Amino acid sequence: MPTITYHQPSGERTTLEVAEGATVMRTAVTNGVPGIVGECGGQAMCATCHVYVRGDVALPERSEDEDEMLDCTSSERTDASRLGCQIAVGGGLDSLEVDVPASQV
Amino acid sequence: MSIASHDTASTPLPHPSSAQDAAAEPGREAPIADWVTIEDLDRDPFPIYARMRAEAPVHWVPAINRYMVVGFDACHEVEQDADRFSADEEGSLMKRSMGHSMLRKDDPEHQIDRASYGSTLRPATIKNVWMEIFAKNHRTWMDHLLAAGPGADFVWDYAAPYTADNLRLIMGFHSATQEDMQRWSQTLINGTGNYADDPEVWAQAERSSAEVDAAIDEMIPYLLRHPDASLLSGLASMPIPMEAIRANLKMTIGGGLNEPRDVLATTVWALLNRPEQLAAVQADPSLWGAAFEESVRWVAPIGMYPRQVTQATVLDGIRLPAGAHLGIVLGAANRDASRWDNAEEYDLLRPKQAHLAFGGGQHFCAGTWIARAQVAQVSLPAVFAELPGLRLAPPEASVDKGWVFRGMTQMPVAW
Ligand code: HEM
Ligand code: FES
Repeated sequence: MPTITYHQPSGERTTLEVAEGATVMRTAVTNGVPGIVGECGGQAMCATCHVYVRGDVALPERSEDEDEMLDCTSSERTDASRLGCQIAVGGGLDSLEVDVPASQV
Repeated sequence: MSIASHDTASTPLPHPSSAQDAAAEPGREAPIADWVTIEDLDRDPFPIYARMRAEAPVHWVPAINRYMVVGFDACHEVEQDADRFSADEEGSLMKRSMGHSMLRKDDPEHQIDRASYGSTLRPATIKNVWMEIFAKNHRTWMDHLLAAGPGADFVWDYAAPYTADNLRLIMGFHSATQEDMQRWSQTLINGTGNYADDPEVWAQAERSSAEVDAAIDEMIPYLLRHPDASLLSGLASMPIPMEAIRANLKMTIGGGLNEPRDVLATTVWALLNRPEQLAAVQADPSLWGAAFEESVRWVAPIGMYPRQVTQATVLDGIRLPAGAHLGIVLGAANRDASRWDNAEEYDLLRPKQAHLAFGGGQHFCAGTWIARAQVAQVSLPAVFAELPGLRLAPPEASVDKGWVFRGMTQMPVAW
Protein backbone atom coordinates (compact mmCIF):
# COMPACT_ATOMS: atom_id res chain seq x y z
CA MET A 1 0.00 0.00 0.00
CA PRO A 2 1.19 3.54 -0.67
CA THR A 3 2.17 5.66 2.32
CA ILE A 4 2.07 9.33 3.26
CA THR A 5 4.38 10.66 5.95
CA TYR A 6 3.66 13.90 7.79
CA HIS A 7 6.41 15.76 9.64
CA GLN A 8 5.16 18.25 12.23
CA PRO A 9 7.10 21.44 13.11
CA SER A 10 7.67 19.79 16.53
CA GLY A 11 9.58 16.97 14.82
CA GLU A 12 6.79 14.48 15.40
CA ARG A 13 6.31 12.12 12.46
CA THR A 14 3.23 10.14 11.34
CA THR A 15 3.23 7.60 8.53
CA LEU A 16 -0.11 6.35 7.20
CA GLU A 17 -0.86 3.53 4.78
CA VAL A 18 -3.45 4.71 2.32
CA ALA A 19 -5.45 3.58 -0.69
CA GLU A 20 -4.37 4.48 -4.24
CA GLY A 21 -5.42 8.03 -5.07
CA ALA A 22 -5.66 9.25 -1.46
CA THR A 23 -4.86 12.95 -1.16
CA VAL A 24 -2.54 14.43 1.43
CA MET A 25 -5.38 16.63 2.75
CA ARG A 26 -8.15 14.00 3.00
CA THR A 27 -5.79 11.46 4.59
CA ALA A 28 -4.70 13.97 7.21
CA VAL A 29 -8.23 15.13 8.03
CA THR A 30 -9.78 11.65 8.30
CA ASN A 31 -6.91 10.44 10.50
CA GLY A 32 -6.72 13.46 12.75
CA VAL A 33 -3.22 14.50 11.70
CA PRO A 34 -2.85 17.97 13.22
CA GLY A 35 -1.98 21.10 11.26
CA ILE A 36 -4.01 20.43 8.10
CA VAL A 37 -7.46 22.00 8.08
CA GLY A 38 -8.92 21.51 4.59
CA GLU A 39 -11.89 23.80 5.18
CA CYS A 40 -13.12 23.92 1.56
CA GLY A 41 -13.17 20.15 1.27
CA GLY A 42 -10.58 20.03 -1.50
CA GLN A 43 -11.74 22.68 -3.98
CA ALA A 44 -8.44 24.59 -4.02
CA MET A 45 -10.30 27.51 -2.51
CA CYS A 46 -9.27 27.92 1.14
CA ALA A 47 -5.47 27.41 1.27
CA THR A 48 -5.71 25.67 4.67
CA CYS A 49 -4.17 22.38 3.44
CA HIS A 50 -0.73 23.82 2.61
CA VAL A 51 2.24 21.40 2.86
CA TYR A 52 5.90 21.35 1.86
CA VAL A 53 6.76 18.26 -0.19
CA ARG A 54 10.08 16.60 0.68
CA GLY A 55 12.45 15.37 -2.00
CA ASP A 56 12.20 15.51 -5.75
CA VAL A 57 9.04 13.52 -6.45
CA ALA A 58 7.13 13.34 -9.72
CA LEU A 59 3.92 15.18 -8.93
CA PRO A 60 1.59 16.71 -11.50
CA GLU A 61 2.22 20.40 -12.25
CA ARG A 62 0.40 22.98 -10.18
CA SER A 63 -2.83 24.07 -11.85
CA GLU A 64 -3.56 27.78 -12.15
CA ASP A 65 -6.06 27.49 -9.30
CA GLU A 66 -3.51 25.82 -7.05
CA ASP A 67 -0.81 28.28 -7.97
CA GLU A 68 -2.82 31.40 -7.09
CA MET A 69 -4.08 29.82 -3.87
CA LEU A 70 -0.51 29.07 -2.80
CA ASP A 71 0.01 32.84 -2.87
CA CYS A 72 -2.61 33.06 -0.09
CA THR A 73 -1.12 30.64 2.42
CA SER A 74 -0.55 31.66 6.01
CA SER A 75 2.94 30.17 6.23
CA GLU A 76 5.52 31.24 3.68
CA ARG A 77 5.33 29.79 0.17
CA THR A 78 8.46 27.98 -1.02
CA ASP A 79 9.34 25.95 -4.10
CA ALA A 80 8.22 22.88 -2.14
CA SER A 81 4.74 24.31 -1.41
CA ARG A 82 1.67 22.39 -2.57
CA LEU A 83 -1.99 22.24 -1.63
CA GLY A 84 -2.55 18.94 0.17
CA CYS A 85 -5.92 18.54 -1.55
CA GLN A 86 -4.34 18.62 -5.00
CA ILE A 87 -1.68 15.95 -4.53
CA ALA A 88 -2.17 12.22 -4.09
CA VAL A 89 -0.22 8.98 -3.92
CA GLY A 90 -0.71 6.11 -6.35
CA GLY A 91 -0.15 5.65 -10.05
CA GLY A 92 3.54 4.92 -9.69
CA LEU A 93 4.07 7.26 -6.74
CA ASP A 94 4.26 4.94 -3.76
CA SER A 95 5.17 7.32 -1.03
CA LEU A 96 5.02 10.99 -0.22
CA GLU A 97 6.70 12.83 2.61
CA VAL A 98 5.49 16.27 3.57
CA ASP A 99 6.27 18.91 6.16
CA VAL A 100 3.23 20.44 7.83
CA PRO A 101 3.61 24.24 8.12
CA ALA A 102 3.49 26.07 11.44
CA SER A 103 0.14 27.70 10.60
CA GLN A 104 -2.74 27.34 8.15
CA VAL A 105 -4.82 30.39 9.03
CA MET B 1 -6.51 3.11 5.94
CA SER B 2 -4.26 2.05 8.77
CA ILE B 3 -1.46 3.51 10.78
CA ALA B 4 1.72 1.89 9.53
CA SER B 5 4.28 3.44 11.77
CA HIS B 6 4.31 6.20 14.23
CA ASP B 7 7.10 7.34 16.42
CA THR B 8 5.31 9.22 19.18
CA ALA B 9 2.78 8.36 21.82
CA SER B 10 -0.01 10.48 20.42
CA THR B 11 -1.63 8.17 17.89
CA PRO B 12 -4.09 10.10 15.73
CA LEU B 13 -7.65 9.03 16.34
CA PRO B 14 -9.77 7.81 13.46
CA HIS B 15 -12.51 10.31 12.64
CA PRO B 16 -15.70 9.20 14.41
CA SER B 17 -18.06 10.75 11.90
CA SER B 18 -19.42 8.15 9.55
CA ALA B 19 -22.92 6.77 9.17
CA GLN B 20 -21.75 3.28 10.16
CA ASP B 21 -20.40 4.48 13.48
CA ALA B 22 -23.62 6.37 14.01
CA ALA B 23 -25.72 3.26 13.52
CA ALA B 24 -23.62 1.37 16.05
CA GLU B 25 -23.91 4.06 18.68
CA PRO B 26 -27.46 4.92 19.75
CA GLY B 27 -26.94 8.46 21.03
CA ARG B 28 -29.45 10.41 23.08
CA GLU B 29 -32.46 12.54 22.19
CA ALA B 30 -31.91 16.23 21.59
CA PRO B 31 -33.00 18.42 24.49
CA ILE B 32 -36.06 20.53 23.73
CA ALA B 33 -35.15 24.21 23.94
CA ASP B 34 -38.68 25.55 24.38
CA TRP B 35 -37.28 28.56 26.22
CA VAL B 36 -35.69 29.96 23.05
CA THR B 37 -37.67 32.70 21.30
CA ILE B 38 -37.07 34.42 17.97
CA GLU B 39 -37.35 37.86 19.60
CA ASP B 40 -34.55 37.04 22.05
CA LEU B 41 -32.38 35.56 19.30
CA ASP B 42 -32.87 38.63 17.17
CA ARG B 43 -31.80 41.00 19.94
CA ASP B 44 -28.79 39.07 21.26
CA PRO B 45 -28.38 35.37 20.44
CA PHE B 46 -25.05 34.87 22.19
CA PRO B 47 -26.16 34.22 25.79
CA ILE B 48 -28.76 31.81 24.37
CA TYR B 49 -26.08 29.98 22.38
CA ALA B 50 -23.82 29.79 25.43
CA ARG B 51 -26.59 28.19 27.50
CA MET B 52 -27.43 25.76 24.69
CA ARG B 53 -23.80 24.74 24.09
CA ALA B 54 -23.31 24.07 27.79
CA GLU B 55 -26.23 21.63 27.68
CA ALA B 56 -25.83 19.83 24.32
CA PRO B 57 -24.33 20.40 20.86
CA VAL B 58 -27.73 19.93 19.18
CA HIS B 59 -31.20 21.02 20.40
CA TRP B 60 -34.75 20.77 19.09
CA VAL B 61 -36.04 24.36 18.99
CA PRO B 62 -39.86 24.58 18.70
CA ALA B 63 -39.79 28.33 17.98
CA ILE B 64 -38.07 27.75 14.64
CA ASN B 65 -39.34 24.20 14.09
CA ARG B 66 -35.78 22.91 13.54
CA TYR B 67 -32.87 21.35 15.31
CA MET B 68 -30.20 23.90 16.05
CA VAL B 69 -26.61 22.64 15.80
CA VAL B 70 -24.61 24.90 18.11
CA GLY B 71 -21.35 23.05 18.91
CA PHE B 72 -18.23 23.69 16.82
CA ASP B 73 -17.42 20.01 16.28
CA ALA B 74 -21.00 19.18 15.33
CA CYS B 75 -21.23 22.07 12.83
CA HIS B 76 -17.89 21.10 11.34
CA GLU B 77 -18.97 17.46 11.01
CA VAL B 78 -22.12 18.52 9.13
CA GLU B 79 -20.18 20.74 6.74
CA GLN B 80 -17.73 18.03 5.80
CA ASP B 81 -20.34 15.26 5.26
CA ALA B 82 -22.76 16.18 2.48
CA ASP B 83 -23.94 12.56 2.14
CA ARG B 84 -25.59 12.62 5.55
CA PHE B 85 -26.44 16.33 5.56
CA SER B 86 -27.95 17.59 2.31
CA ALA B 87 -28.08 21.22 1.23
CA ASP B 88 -31.06 20.44 -1.03
CA GLU B 89 -33.63 21.15 1.64
CA GLU B 90 -37.30 20.27 1.08
CA GLY B 91 -39.65 23.22 1.31
CA SER B 92 -36.76 25.67 1.09
CA LEU B 93 -38.00 29.24 0.98
CA MET B 94 -34.74 30.21 -0.69
CA LYS B 95 -35.71 28.13 -3.71
CA ARG B 96 -39.05 29.95 -3.87
CA SER B 97 -37.47 33.37 -3.48
CA MET B 98 -34.38 33.01 -5.67
CA GLY B 99 -34.80 29.79 -7.65
CA HIS B 100 -32.74 26.61 -7.21
CA SER B 101 -29.18 27.91 -6.84
CA MET B 102 -25.91 26.08 -6.19
CA LEU B 103 -26.32 26.79 -2.49
CA ARG B 104 -29.26 24.34 -2.34
CA LYS B 105 -27.74 21.64 -4.54
CA ASP B 106 -25.45 18.75 -3.62
CA ASP B 107 -22.52 17.46 -5.66
CA PRO B 108 -22.30 16.49 -8.49
CA GLU B 109 -25.05 18.96 -9.62
CA HIS B 110 -23.66 21.64 -7.31
CA GLN B 111 -20.17 21.31 -8.77
CA ILE B 112 -21.36 22.21 -12.29
CA ASP B 113 -22.88 25.47 -11.07
CA ARG B 114 -19.95 26.27 -8.83
CA ALA B 115 -17.45 25.71 -11.67
CA SER B 116 -19.49 28.07 -13.88
CA TYR B 117 -18.25 30.97 -11.73
CA GLY B 118 -14.79 30.40 -13.19
CA SER B 119 -11.98 32.59 -11.94
CA THR B 120 -14.02 35.78 -11.28
CA LEU B 121 -13.95 35.43 -7.49
CA ARG B 122 -10.46 33.91 -7.24
CA PRO B 123 -7.30 35.61 -5.93
CA ALA B 124 -5.54 36.26 -9.24
CA THR B 125 -8.55 38.12 -10.70
CA ILE B 126 -8.97 40.01 -7.43
CA LYS B 127 -5.38 41.19 -7.66
CA ASN B 128 -5.41 41.98 -11.38
CA VAL B 129 -8.89 43.48 -11.70
CA TRP B 130 -10.95 44.01 -8.57
CA MET B 131 -8.47 45.64 -6.20
CA GLU B 132 -8.34 48.75 -8.36
CA ILE B 133 -12.12 48.86 -8.58
CA PHE B 134 -12.47 48.42 -4.81
CA ALA B 135 -10.06 51.33 -4.28
CA LYS B 136 -12.08 53.50 -6.65
CA ASN B 137 -15.35 52.61 -4.98
CA HIS B 138 -13.84 53.30 -1.59
CA ARG B 139 -12.92 56.81 -2.83
CA THR B 140 -16.45 57.45 -4.12
CA TRP B 141 -18.21 56.35 -0.96
CA MET B 142 -15.67 57.80 1.45
CA ASP B 143 -16.23 61.16 -0.27
CA HIS B 144 -19.95 60.60 0.15
CA LEU B 145 -19.48 59.93 3.88
CA LEU B 146 -17.28 63.02 4.24
CA ALA B 147 -19.87 65.13 2.43
CA ALA B 148 -22.62 63.80 4.68
CA GLY B 149 -20.52 65.08 7.59
CA PRO B 150 -20.31 64.10 11.26
CA GLY B 151 -23.50 62.40 12.37
CA ALA B 152 -23.57 60.34 9.16
CA ASP B 153 -24.31 56.64 9.48
CA PHE B 154 -21.29 54.44 8.83
CA VAL B 155 -23.45 51.55 7.62
CA TRP B 156 -25.84 53.41 5.30
CA ASP B 157 -23.57 56.24 4.10
CA TYR B 158 -20.48 54.12 3.50
CA ALA B 159 -20.38 50.35 4.17
CA ALA B 160 -23.59 49.45 2.32
CA PRO B 161 -23.08 51.52 -0.87
CA TYR B 162 -19.37 50.61 -0.99
CA THR B 163 -19.96 46.86 -0.83
CA ALA B 164 -23.03 47.11 -3.11
CA ASP B 165 -21.05 48.95 -5.78
CA ASN B 166 -18.25 46.40 -5.55
CA LEU B 167 -20.68 43.52 -5.98
CA ARG B 168 -22.45 45.29 -8.86
CA LEU B 169 -19.23 45.37 -10.89
CA ILE B 170 -18.01 41.91 -9.84
CA MET B 171 -21.32 40.53 -11.08
CA GLY B 172 -21.45 42.66 -14.24
CA PHE B 173 -24.67 44.60 -13.59
CA HIS B 174 -23.46 47.72 -15.40
CA SER B 175 -26.97 48.96 -16.11
CA ALA B 176 -28.01 48.80 -12.45
CA THR B 177 -27.19 51.12 -9.55
CA GLN B 178 -25.83 50.27 -6.14
CA GLU B 179 -29.28 51.17 -4.76
CA ASP B 180 -30.81 48.51 -7.04
CA MET B 181 -28.31 45.98 -5.69
CA GLN B 182 -29.20 46.84 -2.10
CA ARG B 183 -32.95 46.65 -2.75
CA TRP B 184 -32.64 43.35 -4.65
CA SER B 185 -30.44 41.85 -1.96
CA GLN B 186 -32.67 42.80 0.95
CA THR B 187 -36.00 41.85 -0.65
CA LEU B 188 -34.73 38.49 -1.95
CA ILE B 189 -33.27 37.72 1.48
CA ASN B 190 -36.55 38.72 3.12
CA GLY B 191 -38.29 36.19 0.86
CA THR B 192 -35.82 33.52 1.95
CA GLY B 193 -36.80 34.21 5.56
CA ASN B 194 -40.54 34.64 4.97
CA TYR B 195 -41.68 31.85 7.29
CA ALA B 196 -44.71 33.96 8.22
CA ASP B 197 -45.78 33.77 4.54
CA ASP B 198 -46.43 37.52 4.38
CA PRO B 199 -47.83 38.23 0.89
CA GLU B 200 -46.25 41.70 0.77
CA VAL B 201 -42.79 40.16 1.37
CA TRP B 202 -43.40 37.71 -1.49
CA ALA B 203 -44.60 40.51 -3.75
CA GLN B 204 -41.42 42.51 -3.15
CA ALA B 205 -39.20 39.47 -3.67
CA GLU B 206 -41.01 38.65 -6.92
CA ARG B 207 -40.64 42.22 -8.14
CA SER B 208 -36.89 42.13 -7.45
CA SER B 209 -36.57 38.73 -9.04
CA ALA B 210 -38.20 40.07 -12.22
CA GLU B 211 -35.95 43.14 -12.17
CA VAL B 212 -32.84 40.96 -11.84
CA ASP B 213 -34.05 38.78 -14.73
CA ALA B 214 -34.54 41.88 -16.87
CA ALA B 215 -31.07 43.19 -15.95
CA ILE B 216 -29.51 39.81 -16.85
CA ASP B 217 -31.31 39.77 -20.21
CA GLU B 218 -30.16 43.31 -20.88
CA MET B 219 -26.52 42.72 -19.90
CA ILE B 220 -25.82 39.38 -21.62
CA PRO B 221 -25.82 40.70 -25.23
CA TYR B 222 -23.76 43.69 -24.11
CA LEU B 223 -21.19 41.54 -22.29
CA LEU B 224 -20.92 39.15 -25.24
CA ARG B 225 -19.76 42.16 -27.24
CA HIS B 226 -17.74 43.77 -24.42
CA PRO B 227 -16.47 40.92 -22.26
CA ASP B 228 -14.98 41.73 -18.85
CA ALA B 229 -13.92 39.81 -15.72
CA SER B 230 -17.46 39.78 -14.21
CA LEU B 231 -19.56 36.74 -13.34
CA LEU B 232 -22.25 37.60 -15.87
CA SER B 233 -19.69 38.04 -18.64
CA GLY B 234 -18.24 34.59 -17.97
CA LEU B 235 -21.69 33.03 -17.74
CA ALA B 236 -22.88 34.67 -20.98
CA SER B 237 -20.96 32.14 -23.07
CA MET B 238 -21.38 29.16 -20.74
CA PRO B 239 -23.43 26.09 -21.75
CA ILE B 240 -25.47 26.13 -18.56
CA PRO B 241 -29.27 26.45 -18.25
CA MET B 242 -30.50 30.04 -17.98
CA GLU B 243 -32.63 29.00 -15.01
CA ALA B 244 -29.50 28.00 -13.07
CA ILE B 245 -27.68 31.19 -14.05
CA ARG B 246 -30.59 33.32 -12.79
CA ALA B 247 -30.86 31.44 -9.50
CA ASN B 248 -27.11 31.52 -8.85
CA LEU B 249 -26.87 35.23 -9.54
CA LYS B 250 -29.86 36.02 -7.29
CA MET B 251 -28.32 33.94 -4.50
CA THR B 252 -25.03 35.78 -4.99
CA ILE B 253 -26.77 39.17 -4.79
CA GLY B 254 -28.26 37.98 -1.50
CA GLY B 255 -24.99 36.48 -0.23
CA GLY B 256 -22.35 38.88 -1.52
CA LEU B 257 -23.52 42.27 -0.27
CA ASN B 258 -24.89 42.20 3.28
CA GLU B 259 -22.08 40.02 4.63
CA PRO B 260 -19.12 42.21 3.66
CA ARG B 261 -21.17 45.26 4.69
CA ASP B 262 -21.81 43.69 8.08
CA VAL B 263 -18.27 42.54 8.77
CA LEU B 264 -16.97 45.97 7.79
CA ALA B 265 -19.26 47.83 10.20
CA THR B 266 -18.91 45.24 12.97
CA THR B 267 -15.11 45.46 12.81
CA VAL B 268 -15.13 49.26 12.97
CA TRP B 269 -17.58 49.11 15.88
CA ALA B 270 -15.44 46.52 17.72
CA LEU B 271 -12.27 48.58 17.26
CA LEU B 272 -13.83 51.92 18.23
CA ASN B 273 -15.00 50.28 21.44
CA ARG B 274 -11.50 48.84 22.12
CA PRO B 275 -8.94 51.63 21.69
CA GLU B 276 -5.98 49.45 22.74
CA GLN B 277 -6.73 46.98 19.94
CA LEU B 278 -7.24 49.79 17.44
CA ALA B 279 -3.85 51.20 18.46
CA ALA B 280 -2.26 47.76 17.98
CA VAL B 281 -3.56 47.37 14.46
CA GLN B 282 -2.67 50.94 13.53
CA ALA B 283 0.87 50.35 14.76
CA ASP B 284 1.12 47.12 12.75
CA PRO B 285 -0.95 47.17 9.54
CA SER B 286 -0.24 43.47 8.96
CA LEU B 287 -2.90 42.90 11.66
CA TRP B 288 -5.84 44.08 9.50
CA GLY B 289 -6.29 40.50 8.34
CA ALA B 290 -6.53 39.34 11.95
CA ALA B 291 -8.96 42.17 12.77
CA PHE B 292 -11.20 40.91 9.95
CA GLU B 293 -10.98 37.19 10.81
CA GLU B 294 -11.64 37.85 14.48
CA SER B 295 -14.65 39.94 13.52
CA VAL B 296 -16.28 37.20 11.41
CA ARG B 297 -15.53 34.70 14.16
CA TRP B 298 -16.98 36.93 16.88
CA VAL B 299 -20.12 37.93 14.95
CA ALA B 300 -20.63 35.55 12.03
CA PRO B 301 -22.48 37.60 9.37
CA ILE B 302 -24.31 34.43 8.27
CA GLY B 303 -25.37 33.19 11.67
CA MET B 304 -27.28 30.12 10.53
CA TYR B 305 -27.90 28.14 7.36
CA PRO B 306 -30.06 25.06 6.75
CA ARG B 307 -29.29 21.40 6.05
CA GLN B 308 -31.49 18.29 5.95
CA VAL B 309 -30.60 14.87 7.35
CA THR B 310 -30.68 12.18 4.63
CA GLN B 311 -30.73 9.12 6.92
CA ALA B 312 -31.29 8.49 10.63
CA THR B 313 -28.01 9.33 12.26
CA VAL B 314 -26.20 10.44 15.40
CA LEU B 315 -24.50 13.81 15.42
CA ASP B 316 -22.01 14.42 18.22
CA GLY B 317 -23.99 12.08 20.48
CA ILE B 318 -27.47 13.37 19.54
CA ARG B 319 -29.94 11.20 17.62
CA LEU B 320 -31.48 12.71 14.49
CA PRO B 321 -34.28 11.16 12.41
CA ALA B 322 -34.14 10.92 8.61
CA GLY B 323 -35.52 14.07 7.01
CA ALA B 324 -34.84 16.27 10.06
CA HIS B 325 -34.36 19.95 9.28
CA LEU B 326 -31.25 21.45 10.84
CA GLY B 327 -30.00 24.98 11.37
CA ILE B 328 -26.21 25.03 11.34
CA VAL B 329 -25.54 27.86 13.77
CA LEU B 330 -22.16 29.30 12.79
CA GLY B 331 -22.75 32.20 15.17
CA ALA B 332 -22.74 29.69 18.03
CA ALA B 333 -19.99 27.37 16.73
CA ASN B 334 -17.64 30.34 16.42
CA ARG B 335 -17.94 31.08 20.15
CA ASP B 336 -17.50 27.52 21.37
CA ALA B 337 -15.53 27.80 24.62
CA SER B 338 -13.99 24.37 24.08
CA ARG B 339 -12.13 25.87 21.10
CA TRP B 340 -11.49 29.51 22.06
CA ASP B 341 -10.46 31.01 25.38
CA ASN B 342 -12.62 33.97 26.25
CA ALA B 343 -14.71 33.15 23.19
CA GLU B 344 -17.33 35.86 23.83
CA GLU B 345 -14.74 38.62 23.55
CA TYR B 346 -13.36 40.35 20.45
CA ASP B 347 -9.57 39.95 20.61
CA LEU B 348 -7.68 40.34 17.36
CA LEU B 349 -4.44 39.32 19.08
CA ARG B 350 -5.71 35.89 20.14
CA PRO B 351 -3.89 32.81 18.73
CA LYS B 352 -5.10 32.18 15.18
CA GLN B 353 -7.45 29.26 14.66
CA ALA B 354 -9.79 28.25 11.84
CA HIS B 355 -13.40 29.45 12.36
CA LEU B 356 -16.56 28.54 10.48
CA ALA B 357 -17.83 31.96 9.35
CA PHE B 358 -17.32 31.06 5.67
CA GLY B 359 -18.87 27.63 6.05
CA GLY B 360 -16.95 24.58 4.85
CA GLY B 361 -16.91 21.61 2.51
CA GLN B 362 -18.64 21.82 -0.89
CA HIS B 363 -20.35 25.13 -0.12
CA PHE B 364 -17.33 26.87 1.38
CA CYS B 365 -17.99 30.53 0.57
CA ALA B 366 -17.07 31.28 -3.03
CA GLY B 367 -16.60 34.95 -2.11
CA THR B 368 -14.19 34.49 0.82
CA TRP B 369 -11.25 36.17 -0.90
CA ILE B 370 -13.43 38.94 -2.36
CA ALA B 371 -14.68 39.73 1.14
CA ARG B 372 -11.18 39.73 2.63
CA ALA B 373 -9.80 41.93 -0.14
CA GLN B 374 -12.50 44.60 -0.15
CA VAL B 375 -12.83 44.82 3.63
CA ALA B 376 -9.45 43.95 5.18
CA GLN B 377 -7.10 45.06 2.41
CA VAL B 378 -8.87 48.11 0.99
CA SER B 379 -11.53 49.56 3.25
CA LEU B 380 -10.48 49.12 6.89
CA PRO B 381 -6.94 50.55 6.55
CA ALA B 382 -8.21 53.45 4.42
CA VAL B 383 -11.11 54.33 6.73
CA PHE B 384 -8.89 54.62 9.80
CA ALA B 385 -6.11 56.41 7.89
CA GLU B 386 -8.46 59.02 6.46
CA LEU B 387 -10.56 59.49 9.59
CA PRO B 388 -8.05 59.42 12.46
CA GLY B 389 -10.61 60.91 14.83
CA LEU B 390 -13.36 58.45 13.91
CA ARG B 391 -15.71 57.79 16.82
CA LEU B 392 -19.17 56.47 17.56
CA ALA B 393 -21.44 59.45 18.03
CA PRO B 394 -22.79 58.62 20.47
CA PRO B 395 -21.72 55.03 21.26
CA GLU B 396 -25.12 54.06 22.64
CA ALA B 397 -26.83 54.94 19.34
CA SER B 398 -25.21 51.99 17.55
CA VAL B 399 -27.47 48.96 17.12
CA ASP B 400 -26.32 45.38 16.48
CA LYS B 401 -29.12 43.06 15.58
CA GLY B 402 -30.14 39.75 14.05
CA TRP B 403 -29.23 36.08 14.33
CA VAL B 404 -29.76 34.34 10.94
CA PHE B 405 -27.90 37.35 9.60
CA ARG B 406 -26.27 39.63 12.15
CA GLY B 407 -24.71 43.03 11.81
CA MET B 408 -24.97 46.72 12.67
CA THR B 409 -28.29 48.23 11.63
CA GLN B 410 -27.43 51.73 12.78
CA MET B 411 -24.06 53.30 13.55
CA PRO B 412 -23.83 57.10 13.62
CA VAL B 413 -20.23 58.36 13.58
CA ALA B 414 -18.26 61.59 13.81
CA TRP B 415 -14.58 62.47 13.23
C1 HEM C 1 -17.67 38.26 5.17
C2 HEM C 1 -18.39 38.02 4.10
C3 HEM C 1 -19.03 36.70 3.78
C4 HEM C 1 -19.40 35.69 4.62
C5 HEM C 1 -19.27 35.63 6.14
C6 HEM C 1 -19.95 34.63 3.79
C7 HEM C 1 -20.42 33.42 4.26
C8 HEM C 1 -20.84 32.36 3.47
C9 HEM C 1 -21.27 31.09 3.97
C10 HEM C 1 -21.36 30.69 5.43
C11 HEM C 1 -21.60 30.31 2.89
C12 HEM C 1 -22.11 28.87 2.93
C13 HEM C 1 -23.56 28.80 3.22
C14 HEM C 1 -24.11 27.41 3.17
O1 HEM C 1 -23.34 26.44 3.12
O2 HEM C 1 -25.34 27.25 3.18
C15 HEM C 1 -21.37 31.10 1.71
C16 HEM C 1 -21.58 30.66 0.42
C17 HEM C 1 -21.43 31.46 -0.70
N1 HEM C 1 -20.97 32.76 -0.72
FE1 HEM C 1 -20.34 33.86 0.86
N2 HEM C 1 -19.91 35.03 2.48
C18 HEM C 1 -19.35 36.28 2.44
C19 HEM C 1 -19.11 37.04 1.30
C20 HEM C 1 -19.41 36.65 0.02
C21 HEM C 1 -19.18 37.46 -1.16
C22 HEM C 1 -18.57 38.84 -1.16
C23 HEM C 1 -19.63 36.73 -2.23
C24 HEM C 1 -19.65 37.06 -3.70
C25 HEM C 1 -19.01 38.01 -4.29
C26 HEM C 1 -20.11 35.45 -1.73
C27 HEM C 1 -20.61 34.44 -2.50
C28 HEM C 1 -20.98 33.19 -2.03
C29 HEM C 1 -21.45 32.12 -2.90
C30 HEM C 1 -21.60 32.16 -4.42
C31 HEM C 1 -21.73 31.02 -2.05
C32 HEM C 1 -22.26 29.67 -2.47
C33 HEM C 1 -21.16 28.65 -2.58
C34 HEM C 1 -21.66 27.27 -2.92
O3 HEM C 1 -22.84 26.95 -2.72
O4 HEM C 1 -20.84 26.48 -3.41
N3 HEM C 1 -19.96 35.44 -0.36
N4 HEM C 1 -20.90 32.35 2.08
S1 FES D 1 -8.76 21.90 1.16
FE1 FES D 1 -9.15 23.97 0.65
S2 FES D 1 -7.51 24.44 -0.66
FE2 FES D 1 -7.14 22.38 -0.20
